Amino acid sequence: MLEATLNFKLLEQCSKCGACFSICPSCMHIPGYDPRAVIRDILDGNHDKWLSSRHIWQCLECHHCLEICYQHYGFENAMTALRTIAAKKGIHPTQVKRGWEMFVKTSRLGEPALPARKKLGLPEPKASGADEFKKLYAMLKAAREKKENPEGKGSE
Amino acid sequence: MKEFAVFWGCTIQTRFPFIEKSTRIVLESFKLPYRDIDGFTCCPEKSLVNNIDHGAFVVTAARNVALVDELDYDLVSPCTGCVSNLATVKGELRANPREKAEVNKLLKEVGREFKGTSKLQHLVPFFHDTVGVHAIKQKIKKDFTGMRIGIHYGCHMIRPSHALRNDDPLEPRKFDTLITALGAQSLQFMTKMMCCGQGLDRIDEHDRALHFARIKLKELKSLGCDALVLCCPSCFLQFDNNQFLMEKEGEKFGIPVIYFTELLGLAMGYKPEDLGMDLHRVDCTPFIKKWESLSERPPREDAIEDGLNAPGEL
Repeated sequence: MLEATLNFKLLEQCSKCGACFSICPSCMHIPGYDPRAVIRDILDGNHDKWLSSRHIWQCLECHHCLEICYQHYGFENAMTALRTIAAKKGIHPTQVKRGWEMFVKTSRLGEPALPARKKLGLPEPKASGADEFKKLYAMLKAAREKKENPEGKGSE
Repeated sequence: MKEFAVFWGCTIQTRFPFIEKSTRIVLESFKLPYRDIDGFTCCPEKSLVNNIDHGAFVVTAARNVALVDELDYDLVSPCTGCVSNLATVKGELRANPREKAEVNKLLKEVGREFKGTSKLQHLVPFFHDTVGVHAIKQKIKKDFTGMRIGIHYGCHMIRPSHALRNDDPLEPRKFDTLITALGAQSLQFMTKMMCCGQGLDRIDEHDRALHFARIKLKELKSLGCDALVLCCPSCFLQFDNNQFLMEKEGEKFGIPVIYFTELLGLAMGYKPEDLGMDLHRVDCTPFIKKWESLSERPPREDAIEDGLNAPGEL
């Protein structure tokens, strides 16, 4: 349920193009960062070797590749897929994990700075939707489990 | 003008409440129908949430959009990331009815429904399109003639373009138009569209994040830039905070980093302290001082008038 997937037909084109390589800030400024190699490995069925690489996290998600792409696809999709797989296996930078845990626990990435707000004369922050979010997230997880272990009942 | 909810986002409220301050000041003085509403959560942040759980990313964003849909408001945010994430999900769901149905099935359990009818806009395109350059010019008390400004758009103000559809994704103009309307010169430079690189700080690569900041700051310094103007809290963190950290290590650039609403507020006659600019890490006084010294000069009309009427031999 609600899983991102890759379009291999489009990636096939990507492997022959590489327009994004000339505009990507990480390609320009991080030595050894070359998503063309990543895409080739995905197509060859060797994506595993990238899961522990730092490179997949160095994609800044600036969407430059998407905009210059003749297919409006972009290799960021490939990088996102690899990050998702890596994260599922528990391989990710510590700050990503910390951010995710904070998000799941509080529905935010930080709480409003109350003393500073008071000093600046800002109004009380509005109520957050944390409780509703938690309910929703629990339901999402339950729905997935049901789909993975369908006990007799047919899913759509 | 349709009423709109302001989506402040986590970073501004947690780390930079002074950005909220200047934004409120500007929205108030234009008498814009903005509202604060209950129930928002994190947008959520793409690089953290979407990489781990796409479903949670979609459902959370859809819920935030549903809150404004319900009230029949639009949504405006001073954070580029928030708008981009919300719009990305809105686009994904509108293009994919089956996924939308799945999401709405969940949302129904908490009494919400995602329709995707409200307009989601970032503050800069909002000022350009909805408030308009003409109305802004009428509010200017003192413009920035003679000031050299480097604009940093922030990737997510304009990209992904299929979701945001507010400017050219590779050669945007709207922010430039607003800044030049305030009288300043908008510098055209090599690294203008380069991503700030703040994301590297979020994956435990601080030195590399500094390297990215350095590239742009170096170029701006060489061009004699008076300030870097932007409208994204992540980019602000990168250029203000990280520039300050480099300064402490002895690498000084001295480029003040100014939020769009602060620059607008200054032009409208607010003091830097009213706008919370004294809370920046990198000192803004060189910018203010130069600006003040420029306005001490007689206006151009007077200067030419004096010249023409001056005694002289013919």
